[in-house]
Amino acid sequence: MTAMTQKTRAFIVVVGLSLGFSVLGFRLFDLHVLQHKELAAQALANREQVVHRQGRRGEIRDINGNLLANSQSVRIVTADPSITGPQAQTIAQKLAPLLKMDEATLVAKLSGEGRYVRLKTKVDEDTAQQIRALRLKGVLFEDQFLRSYPNGILASHVLGFVDSEHKGVQGIESSMEQYLQGIAGYEVIERDRKGREIRALRDEEIGPRDGYSVVLTIDQVIQHIAETELDKAMVLNKPQAGVIIVSRPKTAEILAMSCRPAFDLNNPGAAPGDARRNRCISDVAEPGSVFKIVACSGALNEGIVNLNDQFDCENGAFLYAGRILHDAHPYGVLSVEEILFHSSNIGAAKVGLRMGPAHLYDYITRFGFGRKTGIALPGEVSGIAHPLSRWSKLSITRIPMGHEIAVTPLQMIMALNAVANGGRLMKPLIVKSVVDQDGHTILQYQPQQVAQCIFPRASILMTTALRKVVTPEGTAPRAAVEGYDVAGKTGTAQKIENGQYVRKYYSSFIGYLPASDPEISILVSLDDPEGAAYYGGSVAGPVFRAVAEKTAQYLSIPPQITDPKKVANLS
Amino acid sequence: MRFGTVAKSVFTCICIAGVGVGYVWQKNQIYRLGDEIKKRESVLLAAEKRNTMLASQLAQLKSPSFLETRCQQYNLGLVSPRENQVMRLYEPGPEWDTKFTPAALQPQPGKSANKVVAQR
Repeated sequence: MTAMTQKTRAFIVVVGLSLGFSVLGFRLFDLHVLQHKELAAQALANREQVVHRQGRRGEIRDINGNLLANSQSVRIVTADPSITGPQAQTIAQKLAPLLKMDEATLVAKLSGEGRYVRLKTKVDEDTAQQIRALRLKGVLFEDQFLRSYPNGILASHVLGFVDSEHKGVQGIESSMEQYLQGIAGYEVIERDRKGREIRALRDEEIGPRDGYSVVLTIDQVIQHIAETELDKAMVLNKPQAGVIIVSRPKTAEILAMSCRPAFDLNNPGAAPGDARRNRCISDVAEPGSVFKIVACSGALNEGIVNLNDQFDCENGAFLYAGRILHDAHPYGVLSVEEILFHSSNIGAAKVGLRMGPAHLYDYITRFGFGRKTGIALPGEVSGIAHPLSRWSKLSITRIPMGHEIAVTPLQMIMALNAVANGGRLMKPLIVKSVVDQDGHTILQYQPQQVAQCIFPRASILMTTALRKVVTPEGTAPRAAVEGYDVAGKTGTAQKIENGQYVRKYYSSFIGYLPASDPEISILVSLDDPEGAAYYGGSVAGPVFRAVAEKTAQYLSIPPQITDPKKVANLS
Repeated sequence: MRFGTVAKSVFTCICIAGVGVGYVWQKNQIYRLGDEIKKRESVLLAAEKRNTMLASQLAQLKSPSFLETRCQQYNLGLVSPRENQVMRLYEPGPEWDTKFTPAALQPQPGKSANKVVAQR
């Protein structure tokens, strides 16, 4: 009985154990085999984390390698109010001086609702380290990139700025976005119980690639010269706006491009939209007398006129197609050369009449008017150059003096560059190269000829005439630069408001030096200067001289007219 | 015979224990080196961040407007010389050697000089 009982008990235990182990075995089989896929994925997800890393945006540098824009790593200080709430007052006392924030504001944020609140953005690394050293529970940090422009306002319209997503929205920042933006990388990491990464278990690692750096043709010293002189002109003449462009005629490299009003690149939102517009490429206006360069170049190139050909300037009043055209000063008979340096409207109109509409229109298009120059900046407009079919009978007398046509300042200086450069019209160059982080050149932009507008002979003749503009006989003696051989042209264009010419003017001067072998060309244009003086020669001329003088000195351009007493010979 | 068996067993145990300890030591080393790499990576990242910040500060300090302001603040009297304050000298060289160069090839007053070497 006893034996049977023992056997029975043993059997029961064995069966019980077998059943128990079978259940456990089945459960193990279920977990490891049947549900393996789902559970393994779940375990991996709990353990592993994919961390994305943004590549740093590339830098923008000037032609000499000076830094104009870069991206800095800064921090966003955040807090978990569910943790910081009970000690909000203490934490706020410690954070307020470091974050330069009001204590009460901090207390409100630290003791608020929810589990996430941003205390301050754009906190530099040093401050972040000081906060970290305080070991405040519930105060956390996030990475953030901040676009920094060390020169503030300098070249603001050229550089442009980035949006909150760190994407370029204007200027070079926008046009060179594909090169400047970095490529994000990622890491598959595992964390320990405390949330720290276990470096040895890092699974995949694709590092981010920083963006390429863009090197501009802009020279920050020349840009500074242009902006300083433009600021002085803005104070002196109180125009609504002003632009200065400095370029190299032979290559069409833009050395400086400045507009006023301007804005601080480190705080673009503070400026009105009007101040953020690059007027050099997006504003069109009738060029006025500076456009006589185009008509006279064409006429000289075609052999229709010579510099010595005489035109009757009708003593300042010329009746044509029922309308009277006036000159600023009455002139009798003038040669083509005199028409240019006295800036006679009637003379230019008569040159246009002798050329004929077809030839004149041909030269307008040859010089690139009515189409974009193709500069690597967004927002460029084509200007307005009406086709021949839309010309009125008056057009042939008005267009040669810069009416009935609208151009951008950039188009105008490119046309002048063509005259200075033996007739070769070049594509404006503002980006010199794109380089990687190790300094290797990825892309190199070369000067590009667009067209041969006029023959070199006509270019020489034009230079001969334009030299006289800055003499006492010409319209801009105040644009003459001591020691240098300057060629240029003044322009005073009446503004149009509501379809009517009003007593407001665009005063401009464009010129190049040395006239015989041009190194730099400069355009100065002021929109509606105040005061009695509004002629290009008296308002824009002195600004041209100041910019030219300093730029020539900075670039070590040797003067052509030297005092013999000052030239020494060491040999 | 018995001692040999015991020795073999002990040796086997030591080997197994050695392999185990070695494995643990190696794992420990891997984790320790991982931590070391992580620390170095953090230092490198911090250095890179600091570098960009300093580059920006340097650019600001070197900017023409900042230098101009500082010159004015300190009354250093540093201004660019005017053209009439510059004395231009011709670089001496074989082509300018008066002994061997014909007079027609020598630099003429009124022609452009090729380098600014002095100013008064």
